[in-house]
Amino acid sequence: MRYLTPIFIAEVICFIAAIAIIWKDKHAFGKVITCYLAIALVTEEAAAYMAIRGIHNLWLFNIYIVFEISAILYGLYYCIKKYTKPKSIFIIGLGIISLTYIFFITTKPFTDLNTITISVMSVIFTLYCLYYYYLLLKDENFIEIKTHPEFWWVTGVLFYYFGSTMSNIFDGLFMVRLIGFVTLRFLIYILLNLILYSFWLYSFICRMKQQKLQS
Amino acid sequence: MQNETTKIAILVAIATLVFLLMPVFLILYIRSYTRHKKNHFLEKQNMQQKFESEMLQTRVEVQDQTMQSIATELHDNVGQLLSLTTLTLNSINLNDGEKAKKKIDNSLALVNKSIKELRELAKLLHGEQLVENGIGHAIDQEINWLNKAGSYELKINNQLIDLQITSPNKDLIILRLLQEIINNIIKHAQATDIQIDSHLANNILHLRVAENGIGFNPEEIKSKKSGMGLNSIYKRIEMINGKLILNSTPGEGTSISIEVPYP
Repeated sequence: MRYLTPIFIAEVICFIAAIAIIWKDKHAFGKVITCYLAIALVTEEAAAYMAIRGIHNLWLFNIYIVFEISAILYGLYYCIKKYTKPKSIFIIGLGIISLTYIFFITTKPFTDLNTITISVMSVIFTLYCLYYYYLLLKDENFIEIKTHPEFWWVTGVLFYYFGSTMSNIFDGLFMVRLIGFVTLRFLIYILLNLILYSFWLYSFICRMKQQKLQS
Repeated sequence: MQNETTKIAILVAIATLVFLLMPVFLILYIRSYTRHKKNHFLEKQNMQQKFESEMLQTRVEVQDQTMQSIATELHDNVGQLLSLTTLTLNSINLNDGEKAKKKIDNSLALVNKSIKELRELAKLLHGEQLVENGIGHAIDQEINWLNKAGSYELKINNQLIDLQITSPNKDLIILRLLQEIINNIIKHAQATDIQIDSHLANNILHLRVAENGIGFNPEEIKSKKSGMGLNSIYKRIEMINGKLILNSTPGEGTSISIEVPYP
């Protein structure tokens, strides 16, 4: 039962939708996000397996966040580059996150969760999302946001990373167990993941509608 | 300690909810903003369509006016000349050589005059594309036609002939306005003198048509809202961001001044 968490179910649904819809897109975005979802899925299950067996699994998440940073940064870059040339600001963002990551692995044991990098990347991703909205509003052409895949993809990212800010800041200070192994932190992450994958799923559906219109 | 942790947990849970609500409001704002943007875009598109349809109508009216002028010219002038030539040629008596020569010479003169008139007509026909040569030429052509067709004392000061800049859409509308003003003068004004001035100053094109006809009460005509008349003239002037000043008093003639940002 501990393998079949709501996060895992949401990830599976999103991953299947990604393979069916965005994998065949000619842009690399579809492939990157599908691969990222596959990695997230494997990490989730591997972490659950380790937790059940009583094996320490935080180091796995420290590896996973490298893929997370790469995929989300690429996704945001793909969305923002439609409005401006964002190379320089993404290099700065990547630089800050990389430095934080290096700082963490050189100062703390790799078996500790890299919360500094997670917090820093959450702030940077939130800023990129807000920048995307700013560009969207500033743009002369209007878009039908109801059916705009990139908009909903970015919105999912914003909800997840902005919503997790408090949990990141107070990580480890509120290990309140609600039922059995379920902590409040875990509950918040279930909620955030459900929101993230719902938005992404909706974004893929919008993309499917676009594909149908284009064909 | 446990109590402290619970407090922090509640604080984090509430803060997370607040942090989740903020993007919701942000999305609602974006949604309403894009809706406004969409309405604005559609309105702009609608106005553009209206403008294009008005331009098309203006083009058709200019063509109609040209065709009418040609028909009148053919009937009243060239037709008459050729009829007279036929009559003259029919009346030739070949036995009376001297008279026959005179009549043939007369016929030749009439045919030459007809050819000249036809050449003028060809120019008028070309006048439909006249705006391509600039508004100055188009106004000049219109004045030539008025000069030939009517029995008016004309005072012309057209300084736009050598104008190097053009604005095809505005030119077409200005020409059509001039045509309509002249039509109204011919139909209703009972004028004997017409004065036309045109010039460009500080990127504003000025066109003034004044006559000494019977005049009218502008407020009365405006409220009638009938026919192509004044309302349409006002509408088209607005379309090109221009200004129209109309001065008329019954019995004292009328003057219409048009000012259009140009090009």
